[in-house]
Amino acid sequence: MSHALAQARIEFVDAATDPWHAAPDAPQPEAHLLLTPAQWRDLGASWPSDLPVGLHLANDEDLEALEADLPRFAVIELHFPKWTDGRAYSQAHLLRSRLRYRGTLRAAGDVVADMLPLLARTGFDAVRLRADQRRETAQRALGYFEGFYQGDSVHPQPLFSAEAH
Amino acid sequence: MYAYTEFDRQFVHRRALQYRDQLERNLRGELSDDDFRPLRLQNGWYIQRHAPMFRIAVPYGELSSRQLRQLAHIAREFDRGYGHFTTRQNLQFNWIPLPRSADALDALAEVDMHGIQTSGNCIRNITSDAFAGIAPDEFVDPRPYCEILRQWSTLHPEFAFLPRKFKIAVTGAAEDRAATAWHDIGLHLYRNAAGEAGFRVLAGGGMGRTPIPGIVLREFLPWNQILVYIEAIVRVYNRYGRRDNMYKARIKILVKAEGQRFVDAVNREFEAVLNHDTDGDAHLIPQAELDRVSAGFVLPAGVAPQACDFSVPGDAPVAYRRWLERNVHAHRLSGYRAVTLSLKRAGQAPGDVTDGQMLAAADLADRYSSGELRVTHDQNLLLPWVRESDLPALWEAAREASFATPNIGLLTDMIACPGGDFCALANARSIPIAAAITERFDDIDELYDIGEIDLHMSGCINSCGHHHSGHIGILGVDKDGAEWYQITLGGADGSTLSGGAAAGKVIGPSFAADEVPDVIEAVLDTYRHTRAGREHFIDTVRRVGLEPFKVAANAARRSTAREVAPA
Repeated sequence: MSHALAQARIEFVDAATDPWHAAPDAPQPEAHLLLTPAQWRDLGASWPSDLPVGLHLANDEDLEALEADLPRFAVIELHFPKWTDGRAYSQAHLLRSRLRYRGTLRAAGDVVADMLPLLARTGFDAVRLRADQRRETAQRALGYFEGFYQGDSVHPQPLFSAEAH
Repeated sequence: MYAYTEFDRQFVHRRALQYRDQLERNLRGELSDDDFRPLRLQNGWYIQRHAPMFRIAVPYGELSSRQLRQLAHIAREFDRGYGHFTTRQNLQFNWIPLPRSADALDALAEVDMHGIQTSGNCIRNITSDAFAGIAPDEFVDPRPYCEILRQWSTLHPEFAFLPRKFKIAVTGAAEDRAATAWHDIGLHLYRNAAGEAGFRVLAGGGMGRTPIPGIVLREFLPWNQILVYIEAIVRVYNRYGRRDNMYKARIKILVKAEGQRFVDAVNREFEAVLNHDTDGDAHLIPQAELDRVSAGFVLPAGVAPQACDFSVPGDAPVAYRRWLERNVHAHRLSGYRAVTLSLKRAGQAPGDVTDGQMLAAADLADRYSSGELRVTHDQNLLLPWVRESDLPALWEAAREASFATPNIGLLTDMIACPGGDFCALANARSIPIAAAITERFDDIDELYDIGEIDLHMSGCINSCGHHHSGHIGILGVDKDGAEWYQITLGGADGSTLSGGAAAGKVIGPSFAADEVPDVIEAVLDTYRHTRAGREHFIDTVRRVGLEPFKVAANAARRSTAREVAPA
C-alpha cells in the first residue's frame, strides 16, 4: 500500500536542543529565528539570503500573500492553540499541495500523540509534542493503518485511483 | 448492498485496534479524560447520564439481516437488551460500560460495521432516502454516491477537527425523504436535459438554536466532481467557520453571515483545487470507480419484475387494509412493495427496539426482503424487497412481532430523541411525553381522521428530534430545574406534504409536562373544526395562521395559566 504511514519520516523536535526559537520584538537577522509574518514583512527585503530563517504562523493566517517568499523559509511552524482546533491541517495542506512549500513544516502548541496520522498526512514532517506526550505513543499512532481511502498532501491519489495501487 | 472489500474490512478492524490502544491508555491513566474525549467521540462513544452512549453508523440506512442479528447480540451481551434508531439512520446503545467499548467495536467490525465519525466535530455518517434504489419517483440511485462519499470522508486527515459537526444528506428522487435542506450539505441527484447525472448542491442548513434551511450553491454539478466540490466547501468552513462560540460554529452561521461571499469563496476554492493543487484532479471520480461501487447495488438475487396481480379480498379485515394503506409503499419494480416495520407503538419509546425485536426483524428480512432492511429518517425499519404475493403472510408475521401498527405518517409515527431519560445534554424528557401522546391518541379512527402530520420532539435545543421541522414541534426546556415544553407549529422538512423547509413558530410560553397532551389535543381539535375539506393539518395552519391554535392551546393551560393571563 502506498499510504503506509509507519515509514513516514517525522522529526520529533526536542525542546531542549531545538535551535529554532521565536524572534524577539525587534529582531535583527540571526540564525534560527522563527519570525511572524509582520516581522518578515519588515525584514524580508534585507534578510541575508544565506541566513536560514523560519516563520511562525497563527492558524488564522492567510497564506496566499506569503507565496512568493515561501522558498526563503527553512522552517514553517504552524500553531495548534488547542489540539482539537483543526485549522492548521488546512494550512499545511495548502502550503504543500497548492503553494508547493518544500521546507520543513512543523507542528507546535497543543500537539498530542494521537494527532500524528493527521499531521503526517497533511504534510507536516516535524512535530514538537506537548511536554507530557510520549514519543513512543506518537510513533505507534502512525502504525495502525496500511492505507486510506482519500488522497492527502503526501500521497495525492485516492485508493480508487489506478495510480495508487 | 455494498459488499466490503478486503481493504474495507481490514480498515474497520484496524480502527478498532487503534481505539483499543487509546482506551487502554485512558484506563491506565496515561491519556487524560479531556484528551480521550475527542478520540472516543469519533468512534461513537459519548459519556451520558447513566453510562456511555454508543452510536453505530448505519451508512445511508442500509442494514443486512446478518448485521441486525449482530446488533441484537451486542444489545444482549453488552447492553441491557435494547437499542434506539435515530433520525440520522444510526443505532444507539445506552448501557455499555466504557471498559467494554473496544470489545463492542470488535464485535461490530466482524459484520463490517463501525462507529467511525458518528460523533465529534467531523463529517458524520452520510444519510439518504430510505427508499433509495426502490422508489418509483427516483431519478438516480444515490447509494453508490453515498458509499463513495462515505469512503472519502472516512478519516479524512484535514477535516477531522472542524469547528463543529458536519452532516451530509443525499437524495435522488422527486420527493425529499431525507430532509436535505436541514443539513450542512444537502445533495439532490438528478439528470439534466442531456441525461447526465449531477447534483444540486445545498449548504448551510441546520437546526439547533438558529434553525436555517440550506441555500443552493450549485444548480447542477457533474457527478464526478462532487468530492472536489465538497472538499472546497469543507475547507472554506474549516478555515473560516467560527470557533469562538459553540452555538455559532455550524456552517449555517458562516453561510448566513457571508452570503454570496461564501458561495464565491467555495467556487474559487473549487477552481483552485482543480487548477493549482498537486494532482488536484485526483478526486474526480472515474467511471470505473462508480461502476465498481454500483455493482453492489444491483437487484438482490431472485428479485425480478413480477406480474402485477395483487388484489385485496372484499372480506379482508380492516386492520389489514389499514396496514396496506399506511405501512406498504409503492415500488419501482412491478410485483414488489416496500413495507415499513413501525417502531412507534404503545409501551416503547419511538425508535426503540429490543434484542428480540431485532432478531424478529432480521427474520422477516430474510423471509420476505432478500435479507435487507433500511433504517428510515422517521426512526422505523423498512423492508425494501417484498413481493406483493407475500403481503398477507408478512402482515401476520409483522403483527406477531409488534411491527404492524398502521400509523406510518400519522400523529403517533412521531420523531423523538431519547431525551432526558438518557441524554446528558437534554433539558427535559421526551419519552414520557411521547408515551402520553401515544396513549391519548390510541384510537386508530381518530388518528386516521387527523390524517398525515409530522410531530417532532426534542429534549433540548440541539434538536436531535427535529422539532423545528415538525408540523407540530415539541421542545424540552429547563427553567429553574423543572421540565417545560415549548410548542411550535408550521415547521416543514421539505417534503411535498410539508412544503419548503421552514422552522415552526412558537405559540406562547412553555407548557408544563402534564399539559402537553391536552395542548396537542386542543390544537388538533382546532384543526378538525377549522379545516377545509380534507385539508392537511399543515395546510390549515398555513391558511388560518397561529392565532386560533394559540387561543385553544392557552385554554388548555392549568398550572401555567397565570403566566399568560392578561395583565
